[in-house]
Amino acid sequence: MEITRREFLKSSIAATTAATVGMPLIQGAQAASEDFEADWQWDKGVCRFCGTGCGIMVATKKGRIVATKGDPDAPVNRGLNCIKGYFNGKIQYGKDRLTQPLMRMTDGKFDKKGKFTPVSWEQAFDEMERQFRKAYAEKGPAGVAVFGSGQYTIQEGYASAKLMKAGFRSNNIDPNARHCMASAVVGFIQTFGIDEPAGNYDDIEHTDTVVSWGANMAECHPILWSRVADRRLSSDDVKIVNLSTYANETSNIADTEILFKPGTDLAIWNYIAREIIKRDAVNHDFVDKHCVFATGPYDIGYGMRNTDKYAFDAEKDIMAKELEVTLTAEEAIAQRRKTGEKVKQNNTKKPVKHWLITYEDFKEALDPYTLDFVSQLAKGDPDESLDDFRAKLKLLADLYIDKGRKVVSFWTMGFNQHYRGSWINEQAYMVHLLLGKQSMPGNGAFSLTGQPSACGTAREVGTFAHRLPADMVVMNPKHRARSEQIWKLPPRTINPKVGSHITKIMRDLEDGQVKFAWVQVNNPFQATANANHWLKAAREMDNFIVVSDPYPTISAKVSDLILPSAMIFEKWGGYGNAERRTQMWREQVPPPGQARSDVWQAMEFAKRFRLKDVWGEQMVPGLEAEGFESGKLPDVLDKAREMGYSPDDTLYDVLFATPENRKFKWPDKVAKGHDNHTVKAGALDWFPEKALYQEYVQFGRGHEHDLADFDVYYRDDVRGLKWPVVDGKETEWRFNEKYDPYVKKGSGFEFYGKALKELPTGDLDKPTSKEKTSLAGKAKIFFRPYAAPPEQPDDNYDLWMCTGRVLEHWHTGTMTRRVPELHRAVPTALFYMHPKDAEDRGLKRKDVAMVESRRGKVQAVVETQGRDDPPRGYTFIAFFDEGVLVNKLVPDITCPMSKETDFKKCAVKVRKA
Amino acid sequence: MNISGILVVAGPGRLDTVKEQLGRLEGVDVHQHDPASGRIIVTLEAEDVSGEVEGLKRIKALPGIVLAEMVYHYFEDDPHPVSELPPELDEVDGLEGIRVPAALRD
Ligand code: SF4
Repeated sequence: MEITRREFLKSSIAATTAATVGMPLIQGAQAASEDFEADWQWDKGVCRFCGTGCGIMVATKKGRIVATKGDPDAPVNRGLNCIKGYFNGKIQYGKDRLTQPLMRMTDGKFDKKGKFTPVSWEQAFDEMERQFRKAYAEKGPAGVAVFGSGQYTIQEGYASAKLMKAGFRSNNIDPNARHCMASAVVGFIQTFGIDEPAGNYDDIEHTDTVVSWGANMAECHPILWSRVADRRLSSDDVKIVNLSTYANETSNIADTEILFKPGTDLAIWNYIAREIIKRDAVNHDFVDKHCVFATGPYDIGYGMRNTDKYAFDAEKDIMAKELEVTLTAEEAIAQRRKTGEKVKQNNTKKPVKHWLITYEDFKEALDPYTLDFVSQLAKGDPDESLDDFRAKLKLLADLYIDKGRKVVSFWTMGFNQHYRGSWINEQAYMVHLLLGKQSMPGNGAFSLTGQPSACGTAREVGTFAHRLPADMVVMNPKHRARSEQIWKLPPRTINPKVGSHITKIMRDLEDGQVKFAWVQVNNPFQATANANHWLKAAREMDNFIVVSDPYPTISAKVSDLILPSAMIFEKWGGYGNAERRTQMWREQVPPPGQARSDVWQAMEFAKRFRLKDVWGEQMVPGLEAEGFESGKLPDVLDKAREMGYSPDDTLYDVLFATPENRKFKWPDKVAKGHDNHTVKAGALDWFPEKALYQEYVQFGRGHEHDLADFDVYYRDDVRGLKWPVVDGKETEWRFNEKYDPYVKKGSGFEFYGKALKELPTGDLDKPTSKEKTSLAGKAKIFFRPYAAPPEQPDDNYDLWMCTGRVLEHWHTGTMTRRVPELHRAVPTALFYMHPKDAEDRGLKRKDVAMVESRRGKVQAVVETQGRDDPPRGYTFIAFFDEGVLVNKLVPDITCPMSKETDFKKCAVKVRKA
Repeated sequence: MNISGILVVAGPGRLDTVKEQLGRLEGVDVHQHDPASGRIIVTLEAEDVSGEVEGLKRIKALPGIVLAEMVYHYFEDDPHPVSELPPELDEVDGLEGIRVPAALRD
């Protein structure tokens, strides 16, 4: 390239950069940049990666993405992108992009032991249909399953959930978001009766204290972190605390770093709560008006299987704890029991049940959590002095309690992926509610989301085994009836029995209960803990696994049929981020080869089934619900006939191409010249992404989940809107009368969520009266005790291991490892350990180590310096690298309430490989 | 060749030193700055793809810098934007890429 052209390019790029971040342009630069981009078409989009939900601008030229930049008008990121976001334009151009369906075949026929061979879509769907029918005939709705996603677009999640729940009458659809957000959801529902955060990202600019708990925000929510950094630098009064089990990048700008022992966060919250009471800092006015106190059982197990039939010998000792736990000395103090007491886990089936207690009981329960007890229990760095650690805990309590201070607590996976993840979420609200520092600008407990649409799709659309759209659940007859009405289904079509959560779907594959599974927009065979079991189940059990993906992931490689999917800017879609902001984009470029959108795939598959195939009587083992015969879903075909359906109508006709939906015509002027390959491939005259969305919004309107119309999100002056959107206005802070139209006038605050708002009363151990009290409009302050992690280092497996993410890679690396810049920046997952621990094992930096747990082993390169700095006894490794499958090591221990896996705590031994 | 547009923010009173240090880094050009906010716009040119990421790391490592994030990414002239894959993914020869990787077999 000539010098002049290069100089010209550089000044154009500088000008665009300056304009993007809102700096005034130097003379002449504006013209230069316009000239340079003359034949590009810019349009707004959303980042494909994390739950921050940054706005990006995408430039296309001749059907290809040529540039991306941070969207200067996006309130989330104001023109900035982190390094992943910046490469959004490259992820679709990996050289191993899948462009045609591939099926395992021998001699031209499907064979589970065969080799992957290109087939047509027709052949692919033929075999899929055959296998689905076989599984459905043998096992009924419980024998088929969908691995869904927090990265589904809103429309994809909606289409899949509707096909499964309304069409196949199966609740076996559960997203990878179970692994990242489920504990947060339980925390919200239990505390407020409604899901998702009260605040928004502007809390960062309004607050003067940011406490990050178990969240490496600097790497995992980088743009939010840059806002925190800006805020910190704006004033010396602003304080930042990083609570973590190891030192990480988030500590860099923190004023205080607190390293605690895994699991003891439960005790630290209780210490803070005890201090609040001791120092008479409870905001009694707020608490009396808006809160009640509650607790629940402690003997709830750890979400493991209750049989060791399938277990490896080495993991049986841990699995036995699902049935009975021997209390440690610390647990005995924390739970007011005796050391060594054996506690049968009697409430594993009902871990969520809870009851009201008095403030006096609540105070008594907190009594053991003194600074002495908690500092000794929780100190995480053996090389730190107890006095220093005590001082830090005290400072933390001071910051929360200081009346003049606003406080925001952020957390992500350190809390959610926790054997008591739901409890720890509830505890965050406990402290904020006691202080009255909740639901107001700059004050609040704020659960951050990992995935780009864990909120917008997985949670709001409800692609979970127990959920329906807009916070409704399949167990609730009124919710089923409302869904059946919107979906125009005969009464009692929807299955009232909760389906299998994502880890249970894996267990079902292993024990032969699920025989057909469809993986959509995720990579569960890399991302699910205790992977050796599931990899074997996929390849050796009698089942059929379909994977829709743009790239050959591990899940694709162990499947039977691979369907090539369109990626983000190759289709129309919408995401919802962690601050309730719904954002949408247009199709920018066509997908390559025969790759197709997931919406198209769901609709095509639906064409293959008629009502008479699925709406007759169905066996559902274990189904018990009022109005249903035990173990059975009724035949609803007669009712369907009365509603004007024919038993020969296909699920496509009844669920997707309904007369109402076909009224949304394609072409549509909102497209502004952009294409829609889903329309083209299906030869449609209607606009499925818009029609499905407009159908979906009916669930939430008037029910505290109002979304705006489709076209509104495409307006040039809109960069997403935070729901509930009422009378065209978004809601900044929920539950606060000043901002939230749902709050009763004159109440100040109202926690109006409706779920779980009728409770019995009891003492700290049990409910004592059956009579239920209504808590309408109130939030619950829970007491939850410290409980020890079920797996901890011992003489044999002597180190802690934690897994997580790095800045440069997204989840299992399917997209980011195919961007050379990102791959080169972090080519492999490094095993971070303390130099002394390495030395004790004869290891140096860059040596290859064999890391082994009770469940498997992997080899990884040792790192003893750099961005993570674990204390002695502790190690960290990221899970993005398919060459280092760390999930082989991690146990499938889950929070018993949320069923979310604890990916953060396991015991390993390490030697030179 | 890769060119990126980067926003650098210098800490209070550090604008001039940061600018000077940036100017000395290879492939970095300082284009404009705003004394009030400490913001500096630079471009980073790198011969190959990893140079780009390394370059940003070098910028971030300079003393006095509060923030350095990429804002703009230009790759129109890159005919093979993806030229390198991790070894365990890079078995794409026909359909060989779909093999079950060795890591899964043990
Ligand atoms: S990965 Fe997250 S922080 Fe980075 S640009 Fe995308 S949404 Fe923003």
